[in-house]
Amino acid sequence: MNSALRLYIAFLTMSAISCNLLRKEDVVPLPGTFRMETALTWGGDPYTLGQVVTDHLGHPLRLDNLQAYVAPIALRNAAGEWVESDDVFLLDYSIHAQKMVSTFPAGTYDAVRFGLGIPPEINTDIDPASYPNDHPLSVLGSAGMFWTWASGYIFVKYEGKYAIDPGSQLLEPVSYHCGTDASYRTVTFELNEPFEVKSQEVTPALLTLDASRALIGTGDSIDIAVDPVTHNSNGDSLGARMMDLLVDAWTLEFME
Amino acid sequence: MKHWPVHSIVLIWAVMFTTGCDRCSEPICETADCNPAATPYELEIPPFFPPMDIPEDNPLTEEGIELGRMLFWEKSLSADYSMSCGSCHLPAASFADPNPYSTGITGAQGIRNAMAIINIGWAPSYFWDGRAVTLEEQILEPVSHPDEMALPWEDAVARLQSSDVYPDLFEVAFTDRVITPELVAKAIAQFLRTMVSADSKFDQWRRGETNLTDQEFAGYEIFLREGGDPETTPGGQFGGDCFHCHGEAGLQFSDYLFRNNGLDSTFTADPGHAAVTGNPLDSGRFKTPTLRNVALTAPYMHDGRFETLEEVVAHYNSGGVPSATVDPFMKYTTGGLALSPVQQAQLIAFLHTLTDTTFIHAQQFQDPH
Repeated sequence: MNSALRLYIAFLTMSAISCNLLRKEDVVPLPGTFRMETALTWGGDPYTLGQVVTDHLGHPLRLDNLQAYVAPIALRNAAGEWVESDDVFLLDYSIHAQKMVSTFPAGTYDAVRFGLGIPPEINTDIDPASYPNDHPLSVLGSAGMFWTWASGYIFVKYEGKYAIDPGSQLLEPVSYHCGTDASYRTVTFELNEPFEVKSQEVTPALLTLDASRALIGTGDSIDIAVDPVTHNSNGDSLGARMMDLLVDAWTLEFME
Repeated sequence: MKHWPVHSIVLIWAVMFTTGCDRCSEPICETADCNPAATPYELEIPPFFPPMDIPEDNPLTEEGIELGRMLFWEKSLSADYSMSCGSCHLPAASFADPNPYSTGITGAQGIRNAMAIINIGWAPSYFWDGRAVTLEEQILEPVSHPDEMALPWEDAVARLQSSDVYPDLFEVAFTDRVITPELVAKAIAQFLRTMVSADSKFDQWRRGETNLTDQEFAGYEIFLREGGDPETTPGGQFGGDCFHCHGEAGLQFSDYLFRNNGLDSTFTADPGHAAVTGNPLDSGRFKTPTLRNVALTAPYMHDGRFETLEEVVAHYNSGGVPSATVDPFMKYTTGGLALSPVQQAQLIAFLHTLTDTTFIHAQQFQDPH
């Protein structure tokens, strides 16, 4: 056999091996999609920014801006291991019907977890300008949600106006900007029934934030007339307290 | 017939494979609007700046940019041949208007100060109220606006079409001799995207090329600190609160959001962003302008009410006036920022470090006619 023919046969053999490898990869199930749609409530009732409500101490309150970073989303598989997505989401409740869509390996999961804020490893020291402009951590994508390189991103922005007395015009500012690595929190849902992420299918769920729970929860509450403002880029305790309260402000329901 | 030797087939296949890959990786044209005759222009993104999103249907080309410059300064785009875009965007004022309101060819005045043209390729919206979401869309407005250049677009393109120069330039830039308003806007947008300022003293300092004076650096620290007395404002650092809206992320010095900075308590004269969104919560909100070259862009605010930076800083120091939509950053309920006169002077000294005179004198931005 001459050398050219040997080369040709070698080429055909390598091609065949490559094709076999591809077939083996095809055996691995393709991932599925876990989609969390979002809703906002106040005391359990549907809420839209700009609506005037009453807080737990009777103050008329109107939220004008409510945003929160969520990163990462993780699901716990049957082996008890947390599987994390790499996605970062910025929930802006002025935008209707936002969705957080992540890809996970097909399988059965019994818990859902998400980080409220930006994980310390990406919160500081990464220049926002290094992200593409459509990324939630980019200069444009994080507009109004970035402090400085040293203090990182605002994890939760909760802003509006209130009045001391019912019937008065709402002119007093409410402005809670929570952040810093020490204020990063994790929200976990232990599920009664496991759920399945099916290959190439979408598993929808509804994540609801009760905005009233940012001000009152088990063991703590915030009086907006006493503490109406925190910009805790230096990690003051009020911002951390609101982050603690927010941990219990979410509910998750699976949708048909 | 003689058979081709196997090694020749393998060789031919290999050559075809290799050349084919090269063609795939370096396409000449990726979009329908790409013009293979024009020379691609690669915009240099300055250090610390984010990427600039350039529309796929309007890539930068040397010919398109130069055409855009000619059109920007073209007075035949106004009804009486007296005004160009540059008439209200003067280089000495960092391509803004030194008058509170610009005066159109009929003598009519607008209701807002002409915004500075500087690094606007990064902006996600245009005009004080954000009514245009692309640069191309923004550019279409002033030519035909009755209070500005007052020339219907059909007349504008007819003038350009009948000129001895423009059809050839459009053909080279866009492979089309038929001039349209959209192509005019595309050319001007290309030019404006190249108007990048990144050589202020602050930029040089960030690049390690110079030092700020003690006064400038003290002003920078005030700029970056939270406002307010920590006794009354949790997190307060006796700072200027400036960075919240004019943050240095990406060295833009604007968050490009819409805010009510406490100038007025009612907004019937100019509802601002609410006129675009229809949302009452946007009343009195206007786009945060960049602070780059702010020392050159007087007068200040959307209506040009302040003539000096001293007046601007004094306004923020006062806390502004309350209203239903005033931004919570404004310290109107706690008596303002309480910056001392020395601190205000330091802050202004810092703002002067954002001045980039090479930008306003750059030959490639001047009137070519």
